[in-house]
Amino acid sequence: MSMQTPKELGGLQFGLMDPETYRDMSATKVITADTYDDDGYPIDMGLMDPRLGVIDPGLECRTCGQHSGSCNGHFGHIELAAPVIHVGFTKLIRRLLRATCRECGRLALTEEEQAEFRDRLVRTRELGEDPNDVLKAAVRQARKASRCPYCGAPQHDIKHEKPTTYYEVQDVLSGDYSERIASAMQPDPDDEDDQGTSPQELAEETGIDLARVNEILAGEFRPRKDDRRAIEKALGIDLTEEDMNKLMPSDIRDWFEDIPDSDIETLGIDPERSRPEWMILTVLPVPPVTARPSITLDNGQRSEDDLTHKLVDIIRINQRFMENREAGAPQLIIEDLWELLQYHVTTFIDNEISGTPPARHRSGRPLKTLSQRLKGKEGRFRGSLSGKRVNFSARTVISPDPTLSLNEVGVPDRVAKEMTQTMNVTERNIEEARQYVRNGPESHPGANYVKRPDGRRLKVTEKNCEELAEKVEVGWEVNRHLVDGDIVIFNRQPSLHRMSIMAHEVVVMPYKTFRLNTTVCPPYNADFDGDEMNMHALQNEEARAEARVLMRVQEQILSPRFGENIIGAIQDHISGTYLLTHENPRFSETQALDLLRATSVDELPEPDGRDDGEPYWTGRTIFSLLLPDDLSLEFPSSTGDTVVIEDGQLIEGTIDEDAVGAFGGEIVDTITKVYSETRARIFINEIASLAMRAIMHFGFSLGIDDESIPDEAGEMVDEAIENAYERIEELIETYEAGELESLPGRTVDETLEMKIMQTLGKARDSAGEIAEDHFGDDNPAVIMARSGARGSMLNLTQMAGCVGQQAVRGERINRGYEDRTLSHYRKNDLSAEAHGFVENSYRGGLTPREFFFHAMGGREGLVDTAVRTSKSGYLQRRLINALSELETQYDGTVRDTSGTIVQFEFGEDGTSPVRVSSGDANDIDVDSIADRILEAEFGDEAEKQRFLGEREEPTNLSEHAEPRRVARGQGVQSDD
Amino acid sequence: MVDVNQHNLVPEHTVLDDPERVEEVLEEYNVNKTNLPKIKKNDPALRETDAEPGDVVEIVRNSRTAERAVVYRLVVE
Ligand SMILES: [Mg+2]
Ligand SMILES: [Zn+2]
Ligand SMILES: [Zn+2]
Repeated sequence: MSMQTPKELGGLQFGLMDPETYRDMSATKVITADTYDDDGYPIDMGLMDPRLGVIDPGLECRTCGQHSGSCNGHFGHIELAAPVIHVGFTKLIRRLLRATCRECGRLALTEEEQAEFRDRLVRTRELGEDPNDVLKAAVRQARKASRCPYCGAPQHDIKHEKPTTYYEVQDVLSGDYSERIASAMQPDPDDEDDQGTSPQELAEETGIDLARVNEILAGEFRPRKDDRRAIEKALGIDLTEEDMNKLMPSDIRDWFEDIPDSDIETLGIDPERSRPEWMILTVLPVPPVTARPSITLDNGQRSEDDLTHKLVDIIRINQRFMENREAGAPQLIIEDLWELLQYHVTTFIDNEISGTPPARHRSGRPLKTLSQRLKGKEGRFRGSLSGKRVNFSARTVISPDPTLSLNEVGVPDRVAKEMTQTMNVTERNIEEARQYVRNGPESHPGANYVKRPDGRRLKVTEKNCEELAEKVEVGWEVNRHLVDGDIVIFNRQPSLHRMSIMAHEVVVMPYKTFRLNTTVCPPYNADFDGDEMNMHALQNEEARAEARVLMRVQEQILSPRFGENIIGAIQDHISGTYLLTHENPRFSETQALDLLRATSVDELPEPDGRDDGEPYWTGRTIFSLLLPDDLSLEFPSSTGDTVVIEDGQLIEGTIDEDAVGAFGGEIVDTITKVYSETRARIFINEIASLAMRAIMHFGFSLGIDDESIPDEAGEMVDEAIENAYERIEELIETYEAGELESLPGRTVDETLEMKIMQTLGKARDSAGEIAEDHFGDDNPAVIMARSGARGSMLNLTQMAGCVGQQAVRGERINRGYEDRTLSHYRKNDLSAEAHGFVENSYRGGLTPREFFFHAMGGREGLVDTAVRTSKSGYLQRRLINALSELETQYDGTVRDTSGTIVQFEFGEDGTSPVRVSSGDANDIDVDSIADRILEAEFGDEAEKQRFLGEREEPTNLSEHAEPRRVARGQGVQSDD
Repeated sequence: MVDVNQHNLVPEHTVLDDPERVEEVLEEYNVNKTNLPKIKKNDPALRETDAEPGDVVEIVRNSRTAERAVVYRLVVE
């Protein structure tokens, strides 16, 4: 086996690296800027030295002896001719320069102050806060010291010119000091009393010898500091100027070398691992060639990596620097070269430093150097490490299949043949495994690869499959196709909640789409207008077991968001159960059996009665066959009646959204909580099938005529609207006469607007009522609205009666032209039609102006949703990132990864929302729980035993367990 | 100045004076003091108390899910 044994990471330490360590780990010193010689061989001690690793297959690494692929490469090093600053540490360098003494290197804090900061550091670490804050505070305080508390040397300010230049700012005697003094001694021309100052007076006042004063005035003697101060004071002038003393990297390095370890520790830096002088580079590590491989182009030319180009520059300048220095070149040239070396090393590390022109390729493209490889979305961290592409995944369009269980997913055969599961061949499955191999990679339950115990992988082909099948022995691995009953993970983006990723059991099917039971649309928020979903095949036994027990759809019926079921009947399922139970229709034996044919019920109960001698069964009786035998419930339905279920019999009431719907259907919720997830899955599957049969039995369609109302009703609607117009007319007249009384807290204008809106709102409502009165109870749109299947009475009102007022920003439409909405109206027209009231119905059709106003209102809705989704998506992302590492511990507390407690008890009550009864009145329905317990107590002994013992059904059984067991006995067979 | 403790939404804050009580709490949750949630010494709810950094404050609040929820916080600077 070529695999290395896994090692456990003990810890991870960040720090600076000692230049000696660079040299120690270096495979070779690099001195030549060239890469390959004329024959194409890498040059010794060049940038492609074979000791730095190998990229050409077949060559041997001169350091470790391995070939490309197994050798990870080895670092080399460049000895820099002069120290340069590491751009990554410019801020820290600046801080240290400001906080430490220029003479003795000590941190400019007294022992007591240092002790205080060390204490604070310990506390900060304990609290898990950022030690950087302490460093910043210590630097801030040390910077205030004008003299070193240890050696007394005066401290100067440090100026940092980005990116890598530092100056020491000193006040020194200005060059034109004599002129300044002389001009200050001249009498002020604007002030007649001012006689000026004579040299004698100055000498007297400052106590300086007169001869000295004259020398100073002649510019022959530079006054010392004390004298300078005295003259400044006497004449009220400033004789200094700022002098910027540039600190070369070597100066900084010497400075930092003087800082004692103890002072470093005060700043929270571990001197053992990070000495500050190591931030000034004297040795540059050369990354292995494997990290910067050269590519051979089609024309045989070699193209080098950006890092290699940069290293070439560094070595060239380094060489020139050394040559010039040895030749004794003037200081100016040396400094220029030094700066150039600094530039190249800086851009080698980071080529996107502000204020520094980026190093460019010959083509003008900026080079991608070290930082650019790591940073940003496409960088190593976000692009390669956390955002990897996955194997064993598939994506395609989804479509509905009501014959599947909600736990299942229909997988196209071409997907099943591509994605594999690993079978470990044992004595018990060897025949099965051989059959898969024998079937080959092209016919469905086949195999794509086999792996021998020695680790060799062999591809199964149409040609070798027969032969290979005979060779398969115990201990081999067979990568077989996905077959019915395999567990896979299924996902629809955006993955906003837990139920966006669930485990399904595979059912292999023809054609190209993933097939789903329509009842799983709500948790995925999926529809079939072109939605695509992703599937992931699980690759080990632990993952498959976890997926089956924790992630399977039936385990997700209850939503942790609101504690009720999120999976249940939707749309036509609800219309179907409504039709079946609302008027409790009668069915003959054939009809009843037809309704139930897709369920597990295959025997009808005693008929409910006889019609002309023919037995009949009612819709409610048929529905009751799907209920658990001992279920008793009572709740109001969405239709408006009360549903009564006694001992598994629906006595009265309509089964609609409130009973079986997704998002808290009472019956589904109760079955899931009181019985089991498995029972709930069976119930939902069967309800969906029964409802589909029922809706097909009755027939259910919606046409344009279903929204039309009789002529007399139309006239009534027109009248209602006409009345409203008249009222508005009156309101406007009152307003214009200045007699309209304003509502409290409103202006007259606002009052008028409100009253008009109110009147028009009422007009639409009454139009709706009129329309509603004229629809029959069997109108399909009414059925859908009442049962909660789809749509509302408002939708119906707008289709049949009147669309009503269009609004933008909650007001009537007020925008467009000057003082009017459209040029069709007079200015300042306050009437309903001039401000977007649509009096027509959708069925009747809108006028062009109405249509325009309607589009204005509609556009606002679209913009709102677009803005809302992006805003809430960002909010959600931030919440998830903040909360993702919180975990409920076994002691019930919620903690983050550092062990800090966030909640002392999960949710303050330590209860999972899905384990709590969801009654509206009482949070916990104590009565019914007590009833159930008593019932169990008073049952016969066997029943009591069952109550006391473990009653939970096993959750890890495949729906395909039965057929699979049978198949195993017969060996695997293909369909034909 | 307003005493926020008078407001009915501000829960009751008590400094645990007895070091044994603090020990008990730390033992119950098996944590170091520093793993408790924090509260600033200058938090308005602590103005009337003599809480010092390092003290533990017991906060008893009404809870929507449980009747009463007890929370401990470490006083920090
Ligand atoms: Mg869609
Ligand atoms: Zn090697
Ligand atoms: Zn000093």
